[in-house]
Amino acid sequence: MTKILLVVERDLRSLIRHKSILVMRWFFVIVQIGIFGLAVSRLIVVMPNYYNYYAMGVIVMTMYSVAIFTGYEIYDEADDGFVEYLLSLPITRRELVLGRSLAGGLRSLLFMSPIIVAFLYFMGVLDPLKVLTAMAALYGFAFGVSGLSITLAVGLKAGDRFDIIMGALDAFIVRLSTALYPLAFMPGPIAAVSTFNPLTYASDLFRWSLNFDIRYLANPAVALIVLLIFLTTFNFAGVMIYERNLEGGTWR
Amino acid sequence: MALVRMIGLTKKYGSTLAVDHLNLEIQEGEILGLLGPNGAGKSSALMMISTIIKPTEGTAEVGGYDIRKNPYEVRELIGIAFQEAKLLWMNTPWEILNWHAKVCGVKNPRQAAEAILKELNLWDARKKLTHELSGGMKKRVEVAKVLIQRPKVAIVDEPTAQIDISGKYQIWEKIRSLRDEGSTIILATNELSEADRLSDRVAIMYHGRLRICDTPRNLKDSIPGGDVIDIRLEAPVENSAVSQLKSIPGIVDLAFTKPTHMRIYLNRAEKMLPQIMQLLSTLGIAISSINMKEPSLDDVFFHYTGAILDESQATPAVSSS
Repeated sequence: MTKILLVVERDLRSLIRHKSILVMRWFFVIVQIGIFGLAVSRLIVVMPNYYNYYAMGVIVMTMYSVAIFTGYEIYDEADDGFVEYLLSLPITRRELVLGRSLAGGLRSLLFMSPIIVAFLYFMGVLDPLKVLTAMAALYGFAFGVSGLSITLAVGLKAGDRFDIIMGALDAFIVRLSTALYPLAFMPGPIAAVSTFNPLTYASDLFRWSLNFDIRYLANPAVALIVLLIFLTTFNFAGVMIYERNLEGGTWR
Repeated sequence: MALVRMIGLTKKYGSTLAVDHLNLEIQEGEILGLLGPNGAGKSSALMMISTIIKPTEGTAEVGGYDIRKNPYEVRELIGIAFQEAKLLWMNTPWEILNWHAKVCGVKNPRQAAEAILKELNLWDARKKLTHELSGGMKKRVEVAKVLIQRPKVAIVDEPTAQIDISGKYQIWEKIRSLRDEGSTIILATNELSEADRLSDRVAIMYHGRLRICDTPRNLKDSIPGGDVIDIRLEAPVENSAVSQLKSIPGIVDLAFTKPTHMRIYLNRAEKMLPQIMQLLSTLGIAISSINMKEPSLDDVFFHYTGAILDESQATPAVSSS
């Protein structure tokens, strides 16, 4: 357990060094929620309170894009040969993967915390239990996304293929989910695909914990189960692939 | 007692055989110099015994643990300072060593990090990001990881590359101290003087294979015609002249390290030299300089591989034997 915490500590420390990336992403989220969100919510008249729906979706989307960063970081480390150093340490591969996934989720949450806190304040959500539930939903999702990112990075071991797959995933995972619009307003086939997307359940669980109108959300119990399966599956896969696949010196 | 045993250790990258059935035992408490040019397979062998890469064939045991079956236990015994410093740009030497000490279970990691940073003249640079450090400083941070860890088996891969001469002496002293305090050291290097100065035994690797392993003294004595005469010529010589030189009784071998650099291996060089000079003079071969010396590890390396260490990556030396 201590070794896992040391891996988490190292990864959290590295987040602080990426100040420019942090500021740019905060800026993006603020503009997206503060300008685009306000404007577009005036157009949406069929759904009450779309602005809040949209803002919560953007928060979850940003959690995704920060958590997926773990995979890119693994490629940077492979370029620097740093993977070989990590593999030489008296840490099991399992501790490394779990530490990095936990840190990936925590980094996303820490990164988004100022925006989430400000959003909850403006929404008037002050109930600690609700805040805690909302944070847990976001953290569980980001933890799973980090596991997914590690699994793909280590499984592919080729930076160009990883870039292509992450680009495609980034394009589809948001649009084929309830991050920006509810299932009820999607065309049938898109709605069908979106029910298999963990982003759908993370977004809806987050909204449910903040008392958004349940008619527009997936069942929270189902959402919770899907998220647990998601984070367990990809962290387990990450551990398996790390143990079987990962070697120093063979990355492209 | 052998602390490290490599048993038919083999690594293939595609069709390239990087390490070819390496069998080698490293005794507890010794400094083993692993000598060879870049591409000889040293780093691949060391990465296999550190469990960073997996063998294609064969295995190794470290402290009785098999690298395939018990990789975690092996990593608990091993510390490695890599050839290229493995540091991330966003970390400082202080963070790197402090974290490394904690992960490796060093007691009082902060005090240990402070001590090693001061000993290696890195204290003033402790808060700089690594991309602000010079190549030599990065290398010292890399070596400091092993020094702070004090592992049972310490692997140092070209520990003094990019380090100035006073720094080299300092690192060599630290490596000796590490051994004296109970570590077994594997020193991979392509610097002959470093291997000669530090190693209890030297293993020569070339093209993935172990050519020979013995003490430096025994290796030097093992060369037939241990004395060497280096003759620099004004111009390359004809093959017929080479044949005449080789026919002089007592000349064991003759090779050209460059077209105008002739190296003669022989016994009793002081008695043979007049005869060689006489022949060169008769043949009208102009000489620019002559140097006589006892064998070095350079000669040992050349003898067992047919290559000059610092040039062997580019052009294999031409041996007439």
